[in-house]
Amino acid sequence: MGTGTLMILFFAACGTGILISAGARPAYQGSILVGLGCLAALAAAAAGAQVLLSGELFTQSLWSLPGLTTLTLRLDPLSAAFVLVTGLVLLPASLYAGGELRRASLRGRERAFTVLLLALYASVVLVLIAGDALLLLLAWEIMSILCYLLVLTSPSREDGELGSAYRLLAMGEAGTLAAALGFLVLALGASSLQFDALKSAAAALGANARFGVFLLTFFGFGVKAGLVPVNSWLQPAYEAAPRAFAPVLAGVTLNLGLYGILRVNADLMPAAQAGPGLLALIVGTASALIGILYATIDNDLKAMLAHSSIENAGIVVAALGAGMVFVATGHPALAAIAFVAALYHMINHSLYKALLFVGAGAVETHTGTRDMDRLGGLIRWMPLTALGFLAGTLSIAALPPFNGFVSEWLTLQVMLRAAELSSIGSKIVFALCGAALALTAALAVTCFVKVFAMSFLGMRRLEQRRVTDAAPATLVSMAILAVLCLAFGVLPTYVIPLLDPASMQLHGTSASDALVPPFFASAEGHGGLPAPFAQEFHDLGAQVGEAVLPGRGLVVLHRGGTENPVVFAMSTSYMLLALIGLLLVSYLVIRLWLTRHRQQSRRERWDGGVRQLLPEMTYTATGFSNPVRVIFDAIFRPTTVEDTRETVAAHFRMAIRREKERVHLVDRLVFQPVRSATLGLAQRLAAMHHGRINAYVTYAFVALLIVFAVLAMS
Amino acid sequence: MSQWVIKGIRTGIKTSAYPRRAEGAAGITPGLARGGGFGAGAAGLVDRCLTHALDRTEGEISVDQRRCVHCYRCVRGVAQPLNWDMTYEWTGPMLRPANELGPPFQRSIHIIVVDAGDCGACLNEVKQLNNPHYNMHRLGFFITPTPRHADVLLVVGPVTDQMRFALKKVYDAMPTPKRVLAVGACALSGGVFAKSFVCANGVAEVLPVDVEVPGNPPPPLAILHGLLVAVGRQPPRLAPAGHAPATAER
Amino acid sequence: MNRTELEEQIERQWLGQAQVGVDGATRAVEVSCTRALLVEVCRHMVEHGDLGFAGLIVEEAAAEWQLRYVFYGDRPTDRVQVRVSAPLAENVFPSLVAWIHGADWHEREAQDLYGVRFAGHPHLGDFVLHEDAWQEGVAPMRSGFDAQAALHHRLPDADWRPRRIVQEPGAFVMPVGPKFSGVTESAHFLLETVGEDVIRSSTRLFYKWRAVEKLAEGKTVEEVLLLAERFAAMTAFGHGLAFSQAIESIGGTEVPARAQTLRVFLAELERLRQHAGAIQEICESTALAIATSQAGIVEEELLRVSGELTGHRYLFGLLAPGGLLCDLPTAACRRALGRSQEILARLNELERRLGSSSSFLDRIEEVGAISAPTAKAYSLVGPVARASGLARDLRRAQPYCGYQAFDFEVPVEQEGDGYARLRVLFAEARQSVRIMQQAAAALREGEVCRPVHARGGAALGAVEAPRGATFHWVRVDEGGRIVRYHAITPSFANWHSFHLAAENFAFQDFPIILSTFDLSVAENDR
Repeated sequence: MGTGTLMILFFAACGTGILISAGARPAYQGSILVGLGCLAALAAAAAGAQVLLSGELFTQSLWSLPGLTTLTLRLDPLSAAFVLVTGLVLLPASLYAGGELRRASLRGRERAFTVLLLALYASVVLVLIAGDALLLLLAWEIMSILCYLLVLTSPSREDGELGSAYRLLAMGEAGTLAAALGFLVLALGASSLQFDALKSAAAALGANARFGVFLLTFFGFGVKAGLVPVNSWLQPAYEAAPRAFAPVLAGVTLNLGLYGILRVNADLMPAAQAGPGLLALIVGTASALIGILYATIDNDLKAMLAHSSIENAGIVVAALGAGMVFVATGHPALAAIAFVAALYHMINHSLYKALLFVGAGAVETHTGTRDMDRLGGLIRWMPLTALGFLAGTLSIAALPPFNGFVSEWLTLQVMLRAAELSSIGSKIVFALCGAALALTAALAVTCFVKVFAMSFLGMRRLEQRRVTDAAPATLVSMAILAVLCLAFGVLPTYVIPLLDPASMQLHGTSASDALVPPFFASAEGHGGLPAPFAQEFHDLGAQVGEAVLPGRGLVVLHRGGTENPVVFAMSTSYMLLALIGLLLVSYLVIRLWLTRHRQQSRRERWDGGVRQLLPEMTYTATGFSNPVRVIFDAIFRPTTVEDTRETVAAHFRMAIRREKERVHLVDRLVFQPVRSATLGLAQRLAAMHHGRINAYVTYAFVALLIVFAVLAMS
Repeated sequence: MSQWVIKGIRTGIKTSAYPRRAEGAAGITPGLARGGGFGAGAAGLVDRCLTHALDRTEGEISVDQRRCVHCYRCVRGVAQPLNWDMTYEWTGPMLRPANELGPPFQRSIHIIVVDAGDCGACLNEVKQLNNPHYNMHRLGFFITPTPRHADVLLVVGPVTDQMRFALKKVYDAMPTPKRVLAVGACALSGGVFAKSFVCANGVAEVLPVDVEVPGNPPPPLAILHGLLVAVGRQPPRLAPAGHAPATAER
Repeated sequence: MNRTELEEQIERQWLGQAQVGVDGATRAVEVSCTRALLVEVCRHMVEHGDLGFAGLIVEEAAAEWQLRYVFYGDRPTDRVQVRVSAPLAENVFPSLVAWIHGADWHEREAQDLYGVRFAGHPHLGDFVLHEDAWQEGVAPMRSGFDAQAALHHRLPDADWRPRRIVQEPGAFVMPVGPKFSGVTESAHFLLETVGEDVIRSSTRLFYKWRAVEKLAEGKTVEEVLLLAERFAAMTAFGHGLAFSQAIESIGGTEVPARAQTLRVFLAELERLRQHAGAIQEICESTALAIATSQAGIVEEELLRVSGELTGHRYLFGLLAPGGLLCDLPTAACRRALGRSQEILARLNELERRLGSSSSFLDRIEEVGAISAPTAKAYSLVGPVARASGLARDLRRAQPYCGYQAFDFEVPVEQEGDGYARLRVLFAEARQSVRIMQQAAAALREGEVCRPVHARGGAALGAVEAPRGATFHWVRVDEGGRIVRYHAITPSFANWHSFHLAAENFAFQDFPIILSTFDLSVAENDR
């Protein structure tokens, strides 16, 4: 099918869904969402894949607005990468959302939810395939409002939740405004608002204007991506969003922010100086570090996942910044690798974050709580959910053979490539950011070990309550996402060439050549090498894989030049085989040899001889993450709300009550000072409003005098 | 730090050569009562023992080592004291024949020590096994705090009611093969504390005991001998400690 | 204060409501008062007379309860007992805990063992008889309870929960024991924490409760002497001595001079050996291996000295009411003294090296501190109290066995932390050898035992055992059999305050703090 046909199919599915759902009864809403949502998702994924595989461009003019621009649709490889991942995530997300609706978890608002969600699908894809700035901004605006409305459909109506939704809208609008201003500056010298025209206009912009555009669009689109310091809306909004919407919010709409940044700063206006790239790198790293720190100490499943989304968006932006620096300093191959790393991490994050949100939603549905301090031991009652959640945890902790490992590895390798830069300042920034990203990775492992262990393992802390495993729809959607996570982790050598066109568009050379060079893949590729090297190469056993695994099985990072390439080879697909092999061999050794003449007995755990080991005697999530809280105290700066000791008869301790409150670092450093400054200013200005009519007449008189003066002068 | 190393080297070797050679230093054992032929005065001597460890049959006094609490009333303040010898190898044969731990364990076992109401002296003697004079590590004996790694359970004390559950839990948590060593008069017969509403008559009431080491407290060398018997490296010395004469319940 | 002063004060304040008398042969002044006046009178003793609270002795006489609160001070005449009585049916007494916190555990023990209630005590119960293992209302020390009854045991109560004090989100309780570490006594601790520091610790003892006091009832003096020596055998001589002194007081017997001097010699030998053991524990808890070995050598050699001199490493079988069971040759004593002095030199060198080992000091300095006011409020005794500035030693304050004739110092430190307690242990070891030297020189020929006929009386034996002041109350009936035996042990007093020392320190500091207190569970549990 042609790309155009697939696009029409997508929008038709969404439209039909909206119409049917507007008239159908609440009981059928779930099925509508599943049926048409999945269809739309498949269409989108297919369209994206087709454009990436064929490398063709798809454009379509819609209608022209004289004096402004022609509204155009444009599906180029960059958009296609995003459309592909959108489709991949929307498929299981629709399944899950449909299942939630069928279970009436939205209590009466199913119709609104389905309509809004399908409209959101359409607007998201519209943002991604917009070919000119006006359509992009229009679609963006619609998407923002739809997100706000969808968060409002949440069944609980606490004040805090209303505030979170409003903050989402307000900061989203501020971001949109900034982005629009950025486009405005970009379009000053352009003939129309179409991307081609903007690209040629951008080449003529001065350095200051470029930096201005960069700042405006970076932080403007960065609101959606959750970059520090514009991310304080993200965690409350993700927490307040209904369970059915959270996977889409985290897995799809977050990518739009990244798309916006990429589109403007890497495609339309490629970096000419290292400055913007370094700034992006620093901001990304800071977001990553702050995000994971708050995730590690948070005990609420959804809030923790929200902070983790900030972390992962930060990593993507860091890789992106590195790519911009390499573009500016003339290292196209490294830039290609950096952009591939960024796009790969974006895809991976969408997949495993959606998986984790679905899992968290399942846990909340069946246990009634999201607080990790009160969960525990769920693996006995929800084994399949635990399995899916485990896949997500391993992915986000960047452990092979899952997908997080590949993109994290590629990102860190990109940071190491700073050795090839010439400027010492850049090298220092790269080194520091690389170290910070490594710290982030370590903290991520801590965080997710805590999440999985405290929620699913250990002793059950919940009081009497029947806990069942998740519904089939949820389990199927988790299975799809888990399989995708595994696939993207085991087959990076296929994914990288798939993403290659996208990164080539961003002014790089082909990353495939660097990462999956043909000479490694098969004997034919050896023709391009000097003979003695090819000889040695063969002895390395690079061909071994060919018989075992069909197709490309190695990911490589190397560069030394074509004369004497230095090769560092690593393969996640072989890693998976080796893992399976080792586990199998260990199992056989243990069963057939070590335990042959031994009996196995199962006894109660050893607990020091206490009469009864109670759940309250085991580590809580707070206890597990306490060392992080203590070490990074300077960042968290908790304020003590209560620290009382109640004693009786001067020596009997009856109660020790301690409670601390934490204000987010960004709020503390950025928003609270701004707010207090603004309020202070407003208070001073309020002095003008004292209600005396004489003064107001004076103000009017003075204003009139100024107008006369200006008119007289001109 | 170097001051400690130098001090350690200059202190030299204090370790006893037991079991390669007998240990002859003074004060290493309180000794043990020995029965034997006795003339007149046997009745009086038997009455003097407050824990009923002595019994008289036709002019011979027999000693139930399990009950002797080393009060020395049978040797001090009497005209004709009981025989007393200053040995320290007091462990009898395993309570189930040929039940020693055997080859894989002979040179390396892990011991878990449970205090089931002991007075402190038996536990202290067990602690002395780690000091330079005895150094049980050279024989391959190690103390472990977890029953999962333990081969030998060493119990001191007359198993109080409130420790009973914990003691059983320790035993149940140990993997096989496992052996139980009851050390001290309290662990063998309840000592001066049995029998009451809070004390059992010794460990045998709660767990299957394999090796009994009498004494109150048995000196470290006697405990060492008991461990060596349990792993089969040393032969037992005494006749079974406990051809207990029938005594009325106290 | 002596009797006349006390009488004046009592008359002035509570004319007619409280009487002062002398109790038997104990020299102790006894103030009898009503239940209503109990708190005031006891407060007067502590606040006005600056006396320390030793303990509470509960007796179930034929038709009434008799409670005796024992107070003692720094002078030999400072020994006061406050007595209240009430008919058996009325078993509620006012609680002293608001003013004398040291009475806390005594009242809880009385409640568990006798069923006597104390109005105003915030937390009775779950002390000797664990809540999750015993049913309500069992009062084993009552006369109707048969000590030979079938062994009680039942499965643990599934609904029992530990008492939680800390209310902080995410707080949990770490259980330690009863079986923990390598070779330790059985005790249970509940450490409330949020993950790094111990916010609050609570101690649960009496897992080793053997009901020695119940077993003693109806037995002869010799049998109970065996019990007294063996319930806490690490300080067997100290406890046996206190018991023997009580019996000798009842019988009105004066112990011969040689026996007294030998008793002093042996008591100090035991103190030296016990302190060496405590030092070894402290070094072992901080994992300073060579220092542990050095201290271990010292302890083993002292055990051998004890064994060579007396036949038993822990000095069993020496005491008898009226003196000693057998004589020890003076030459042997002098030899033992010589060996002890050599061993002391090694101990002094160890102290010097430890004092210059900064990694060791880091772990015990300013760790686990008990302040002087806390020590006073909790009525602590022994080296623990003396390290917190509470200078009271029964050998000085209430001399026995002729201690007044000996020349020695009572070391006191002010900081109250682990290092202060360690320094006190080393200093007391030196003083012990000093006393032993004087005792060995003062030995004269003579008999070592006089017969004692203890019939129909009661007395309190007070001895400064190695861990602190211990008081043994004994009442004998007309037939010479024990009617009531109550041992107030130094560990009972000091365990009470241990939980304060462990708070606000990390888990890793817990065993170190525990070792610096030199506590014995067996001594506490009896």
